[in-house]
Amino acid sequence: MFSQFETWYRDRHDYARRWKERTGGKVFGCFCSYVPEEILVAADILPVRVLGNHEPQDVTEQHLFGMFCPFCRDVLAQGLKGRYEYLDGITIAQSCIHLRQTYRSWEENVPHDFTYYLPHPMHVASPHAVPYLYEELKKFRAAVEQFTGKPLSDDDLDRGIRLVNENRAALHELYAHRKGPVPKLSGLEAMWVTVSSMWVDKEEHTAELRKVLAQLDEREEQFGDGTRLMLVGSENDDTDFIRMVEAVGATVVTDDHCTGTRYFWNETPELDDRIEAIAKRYVERPACPAKDHVARTRFPHILKLARDFDVAGVILIQQKFCDPHEADMVPLRSYLEENGFPTLFLEFDVTVPMGQFRIRTEAFLEMLMEEDLF
Amino acid sequence: MAKEYWRWKEYNWQDEERDWRSASMITGGVDVGSVSSQAVVMADGELFAFSNMRTGSDSPNSALNAMNWALENTGMTIDDFDFIVGTGYGRVNVPFADKAITEIACHARGGNYMYGPTVRTILDMGGQDCKAILCDERGKVTNFLMNDKCAAGTGRGMEVFADLLGIPIEEVGDRSLQVEKEPPPVSSTCVVFAKSEAAGLLRDGWPQSKVLAAYCSAMAHRVFTLLERVGVQPDFAITGGIAKNVGVVNRLEEELGLTALKPKHDTQIAGALGAALFAKALVEKGKARKKKTSVST
Repeated sequence: MFSQFETWYRDRHDYARRWKERTGGKVFGCFCSYVPEEILVAADILPVRVLGNHEPQDVTEQHLFGMFCPFCRDVLAQGLKGRYEYLDGITIAQSCIHLRQTYRSWEENVPHDFTYYLPHPMHVASPHAVPYLYEELKKFRAAVEQFTGKPLSDDDLDRGIRLVNENRAALHELYAHRKGPVPKLSGLEAMWVTVSSMWVDKEEHTAELRKVLAQLDEREEQFGDGTRLMLVGSENDDTDFIRMVEAVGATVVTDDHCTGTRYFWNETPELDDRIEAIAKRYVERPACPAKDHVARTRFPHILKLARDFDVAGVILIQQKFCDPHEADMVPLRSYLEENGFPTLFLEFDVTVPMGQFRIRTEAFLEMLMEEDLF
Repeated sequence: MAKEYWRWKEYNWQDEERDWRSASMITGGVDVGSVSSQAVVMADGELFAFSNMRTGSDSPNSALNAMNWALENTGMTIDDFDFIVGTGYGRVNVPFADKAITEIACHARGGNYMYGPTVRTILDMGGQDCKAILCDERGKVTNFLMNDKCAAGTGRGMEVFADLLGIPIEEVGDRSLQVEKEPPPVSSTCVVFAKSEAAGLLRDGWPQSKVLAAYCSAMAHRVFTLLERVGVQPDFAITGGIAKNVGVVNRLEEELGLTALKPKHDTQIAGALGAALFAKALVEKGKARKKKTSVST
C-alpha cells in the first residue's frame, strides 16, 4: 500500500531528475523546513529538502567544526559528492548555525545558478516576527521572480498555497489514522510518506496519498499490538532506526520532528495579502527549538500530541551536538515525565549504533509494559 | 606460554543438598554477555545451580556451553526446564531459550533477589558497558542509563590493565588500595588511551599499585557520573564482575557517600538469575514450554 512512498523515499534523486525531464521545470534544494515552499511551488519550482544518507564519509572535515552536528556534515557530504547535481538552486531559511555553515560551504564549493540565504526570525514569539519575515519574504519572492523571469501573480501564489495546504491536509488525515487504538499504518510507513512529501511534487504526492487514504479503513494489516510511542527531536529520516524500534515491539504513532509533524502541522491561512499569510504560517508553525526561546511553545504542543495520540512513552532523539535540541532536552524530559509520559533519550550520529539503541529501546519497552514478568 | 593475568575464575556450582526432581518447576536463565556468560538453574524459584565462564566467539555455543556446565552432574537436561529466558548481548542467539529479555530488566530483577526488596539503585558493571538502573520493590525497572559506546569503566578495561601490569585480575582491587596517597585518576576515558597513559606512568617510575589506583579511581568516577545522572536512591547495590573489585567499589562508595549492599551470591550471575526469575513468573502466568523438546545438549 505504501510502496510508492518507499520508492520515492529511496530513489529521491531519480525522482527529481525524472521530474525535471518531464516538466522542464527547475529544482531547488531547501536546507531547512522553514523555507517557504508555497512561493517556490507558485513559481513552478520543485522544492527538494536536502537530507543526508547515513553513510560514513570523509569529505567535510575541512568545512565544518568537529562539534557541528552529524546531520549538517551528512548533508554537506551529499553536495560535495555531487549527489544533488541536478539542483538549479539552493536556499536556506535561517534556523541554526551548523546548517548555515553547511549551506555556506555548499554554496562556495558546488556551483548553482541560484542561491539565496533567507533571514528568518529566531524569536518567533516576538510580535515583530511576522512583519520581519513579511519583508524578507517579499525580497525572496522578488529574487525567485528574477530567476524565473516571470512575476508571481496572486493567482500563482494562491495555487502555491493551495497545493502545499492540500498536501498538509492529506498528511493530517494520514496521522489521524494513527490515533485510534489500532493504528492503520506503522511509523515506518508514515516516515516514508512524510519525508518523501519533502521532495515529491505536491500535487502528485497528494494524489497518491489520497489513493491510500481511500483504502486505509479497509486495510487488514494491524498495528495495534505494539507499545505506542512518540518520537521527539532533531531532524530524523532514519528508517533503519524506526524499523528497529517497531521490530522490538513498539508502534510509533506520532512525532515532533522537522521531517515529521513540524513540517506540515499548520496550514497557510487565507489572507488578502498572500505573503503575509505565508509569513504567519512559518512564524506560527510548531517551533524548532532554535527559535522557541524564551516562550518554549513547543512543550505544551508536544504534550498535546502525546495525549491526543495516546502514547505510552516518548523517545527523545537528537542529532549529536545539536545545541538547540540539547538545550531543550533536560527540561523537556522533566516536563513530559511530570505529565505522566516516561522518556528515553538517544543520540543520533551519521550512522546509528544499532545494538546499543536496540537494548535501550527494548529495556524502555519492558519498563513500560512487561507486567507479565512480575 | 605467557601468564594470562586477566583470566578470572570460571566455575560451576550446584546445591548438592537439593533434589531438583522433587521441584514442581524448573526454570533457567542464560546471560550471554560480551565478556562472560552465565547459566542459572532455579528449582521452584530457588537457586539450584549455575555456571560462570568466558564468552566465546559464537553466542549460541557460549549459551550452550554455559548451560551444559551448569547442568554438569545434576542429571538434568534442557528438556527438563519449564521455561528458559535468554539475556545479555547474545540474548537473541540462545537457541534453547523460550524468550529474550534485556539484561537491564534482568539485572534489576536479579539484583532484587540477591540484595532484597529494599534495593532501589543497581549498578551493573559489565564486560563492555555499565548500566545504572532504578527499580521498585519488585525489581521492576523504573529508569535506567547506559554508558555510551565505549568500554572505558568496564570489565574489559580492567582486564587490559591487569595484563598490562602483570597483576592477576582478582588482586587488582586490593593492590590498588595499597597506596599511601590517592593519585590523580588517569585522564583518558578510552581504554586504549588509558593504557597508553598508564604505560607512560610506569615509565615515569610509578609503582603498579599507584597506577592501578589511578585507573580504579577513574573508573569509579566515570560510573559515579552515570549514577548521578540517573539519580541514586538507596539502597544501592552493584552487580557484574567489577562488583568484586574493592578498588573500584570502595572509591565509588566514598564518592557517592553510600555503602553498597553486600552480595549473597556471585555478582556476575545477577543477569542470568533475573532471567530465571522472569522464566518462573512466565510459567506462573501459564506460559510454560512444551516439555521434552528435541534440543540436544
